[in-house]
Amino acid sequence: MTRTLAGYTSRRSFIARLGMALSAAPVLPLLPVGRAKAAAATSGVQTDFERYAQTKDDTKCNYWKYCASDGVLCSCCGGGSHTCPPGAEPSPVSWIGTCVNPDDKRSYIIAYRDCCGKPMCSAGKDCWCDGEDRELPVYRAPLNNDIIWCFGNASATYHCSTAALVSVAE
Amino acid sequence: MLAALLLVMGCAPAGAATPAPAPALTPAPALTLTPGPTPDAPSPAPPSPARRDYLLACGGCHGLQGASNSRAVPQLKDLVGFYLNTPEGRHYLPRLPNVAFAPLSDDALAAVLNYIVFDFGGASVPTGAHPYDAAEVARWRAQPLNDVPLTRYRRRLVASLIKSARAPASLGDYDTAPDPGASRVRP
Repeated sequence: MTRTLAGYTSRRSFIARLGMALSAAPVLPLLPVGRAKAAAATSGVQTDFERYAQTKDDTKCNYWKYCASDGVLCSCCGGGSHTCPPGAEPSPVSWIGTCVNPDDKRSYIIAYRDCCGKPMCSAGKDCWCDGEDRELPVYRAPLNNDIIWCFGNASATYHCSTAALVSVAE
Repeated sequence: MLAALLLVMGCAPAGAATPAPAPALTPAPALTLTPGPTPDAPSPAPPSPARRDYLLACGGCHGLQGASNSRAVPQLKDLVGFYLNTPEGRHYLPRLPNVAFAPLSDDALAAVLNYIVFDFGGASVPTGAHPYDAAEVARWRAQPLNDVPLTRYRRRLVASLIKSARAPASLGDYDTAPDPGASRVRP
């Protein structure tokens, strides 16, 4: 949703808008989109992503672990679904969500971690993904996939996105 | 989750990246949450509700086992218990904005705080410290620290804990990492 945002948005303005969003958070406990996603997470209703998810090819956006991956897949850039390409380093921070594996229908906890320190990977359009399952707006920063998670790396330059399996969720 | 806004973090490189894709249900050992441990291996046993809530609401920044780069994200492991040495410190945890406004019930939030303090806190937890309950969490999360300069508030509180509760100086490491100075919204 924000692939073109960086082109016309400065860091300062983003922080200002984030500050406003955080200030508004106690007043607006959960906007409609957030409520809808929260409901989907607990209702058992299959999301569009889950309907077409597969477990064979991790260079495709519908690979099951990418249900909330926003960015270019590291698996298309010389890395893997959870490993950085040579020369890029993983962000030590991430956001954590859940995806359903279509093989066993179980929910798994996934850490969405960016690889950093190299210019953005120039993989083909098929490797640009924007999964949104159970992702929340930026005022819920720990569950937002638009933030670049390269904070504190030697270089905060975004290269590509990974999805690391943490554990079964429930 | 225990900082007002966890947008800065330190990192060291992980091991050599391998291009081989992982089988569907293989754990992810290659990425490390430096200086924390490697991610958990997926277990047939689900995590406790408190652990699950911690992972989803806090663990991305604070680390899967509470270990983080303390200069950018407050380290929980072996440190968080020092806050329970004084009433102000104890109340501080549920008053932190990302804690107070977490989308969790009072019961669930109390369970997460207790998981953080008693599972990660180690020797930093004072002897005889009692767990949070829903009523205490409800009382203090209703008074979030959103009307004070949080970094300054934290600095003063930590200084008092270092002085009065013999907390280590590393409790004051937070917010000392350099600003990376790059865009924080992905393209």
